[in-house]
Amino acid sequence: MGSERWRRALAAVPLALGLLAAGPAAATAAAEPWWVPVGLRGEAVSAVVPAGHGLLATAGGRPRCLPLPGSSAPPVCERPAGGAGGATPGGAPGWALRGGHVVRLGAGAAVVDPGSPDLGASARLLVTTAALPGVVVAVAADGTVWRRSPAGGWGRSLLLLPRSLLAGPPAVTGLAAFETSPVTSAVYLATDGYAVLITTDGGDDWVRAAPGLPVGVLAIATDAASRAVYAGTRDGLWVHRLQRIPGPPAYRHPALLARWLGIAALAGLTTLVALAALAWAARSPAASSRSG
Amino acid sequence: MDGSGVPSPPHGASWRRPLLALVIAAAALAVVLLGPRLFDTDPVGVDPFDLRLAGVALVLAGVAMVWGRLAEMRAVLLAVASVVLPYCAWSATPPMLARVAGGRLSFDAEVLVSDVVYLAGTLAIIAVALRWLPERWRPRLRLLGARPAVLAVAVLGVAAVVTIALALPAEPLGRLGIPVAALRRDLPLLGPAYVLQAAAQELQFRGLLLGVLERTMRPAAANAAQALLFGLAHVAVLYEGPASALVPITLVLGLVLGALTRWTGSLWPAIAIHSALEIGIAVAIIPGLYGQ
Repeated sequence: MGSERWRRALAAVPLALGLLAAGPAAATAAAEPWWVPVGLRGEAVSAVVPAGHGLLATAGGRPRCLPLPGSSAPPVCERPAGGAGGATPGGAPGWALRGGHVVRLGAGAAVVDPGSPDLGASARLLVTTAALPGVVVAVAADGTVWRRSPAGGWGRSLLLLPRSLLAGPPAVTGLAAFETSPVTSAVYLATDGYAVLITTDGGDDWVRAAPGLPVGVLAIATDAASRAVYAGTRDGLWVHRLQRIPGPPAYRHPALLARWLGIAALAGLTTLVALAALAWAARSPAASSRSG
Repeated sequence: MDGSGVPSPPHGASWRRPLLALVIAAAALAVVLLGPRLFDTDPVGVDPFDLRLAGVALVLAGVAMVWGRLAEMRAVLLAVASVVLPYCAWSATPPMLARVAGGRLSFDAEVLVSDVVYLAGTLAIIAVALRWLPERWRPRLRLLGARPAVLAVAVLGVAAVVTIALALPAEPLGRLGIPVAALRRDLPLLGPAYVLQAAAQELQFRGLLLGVLERTMRPAAANAAQALLFGLAHVAVLYEGPASALVPITLVLGLVLGALTRWTGSLWPAIAIHSALEIGIAVAIIPGLYGQ
């Protein structure tokens, strides 16, 4: 009877530790996945443009009008001025690419930005972000990503590396940011091989923001109205609704204390068990034969 | 070029107790590190500097130092403490510096100071081991007597590691690109920091731990044991970025560096190769989102 009570008490220890370590259940809420499929799975989506009350996507060479994610209304796509030819039209408010050069558009003639690199005649990707005035990110014809600092200096930002000894670097297929509304400072770089990379500090540091997304991304576009980023991939159309970049959780104070106690109790119990195991392992053969 | 200089373990020397000590300590640390995850708690939000690991390692090594029954396990438990305690000090130093210096130090300077602390903590525990362990347990650190052949091995090793890293597929490694702007900003301070970090880890694993284990085990077994702990230790950094490939890679790396250390009789080739790897990770690994 006594040993049964001990067994029950021992069985309750992990449960108590679990309750302590878990803390109040409401302390954390699961965030939405970073990328969520919208449709056209199994098809390569080569272009996507938010178009009023719908999404204009190009799959298999044909334009499709899809409903906005979460909307039950039938989609109505208003064809944008530039068509659905690409997520980034090779220009941004106040800036443009002309013959591989970055030019500032003003009231007068367009002038080449001093110190800007020659990106190559076929360069077509350039964005600004309203949250970081003066910052420009552009992709050269050879795939090198350049950035202009707010002070006006230009420099290389990112060089993509080969996928392996036999394969070269993936193609940069799109560049997007919130150019007219300071929703976020993030700039999104789409690649056909490394999914989507983002920078939030104007091109200094890059992070791969791709969980769940196919690695082959062919187009990318932002929509400030729905606070969303759309990615056309080799396996359908995906959406990322803006959310905080994941980091260590910041538990509320009471939950922190409960969890801290739980973790400390787990560490204490484990240490005791480990010491007992060490003492058992260290017993001399003579002692073990005596006790046996 | 077998320069190990360590006599073969005497016939009948007890390798079971040191090995059991290593297994028990590693298991306890793994439970304390990962246990909270079972209860839906991210321990980084509660114990960001892994102080629970330091507590366990400190108690196990401390008890072994004063309890005669664990005398044969002292050296191994001290070696485990040399891995854990400096790691906790290293991770806690930047935020403590930020609080003390009130933001006067750059982040890179904080990291450099934390790596100085990391190496100093490692050397302090090694000093304890060399001062208080009995002669038959004292490890040979292989820091003296660097010869030209050793330098050649170091250079060839660095070249081999860089070639292999470029040959392996980029995706699982996260070896996606070179953030040029960030490197220009960071490498002047973080480059030396990574060298200090690599030196500290080589002293911990291929210096103290391997040196202690090979006092009782055959070389291959001692090398395998230290490499296993080296691989498992990297579970602690799995919370950040695409690190799923890290544990098996570090396990193999630990085996190679351990064998190289024994073969050359010098720790310096391992320090050189490890430094190159740490810098290479900073240069070419694009981190992923936290926890994904």
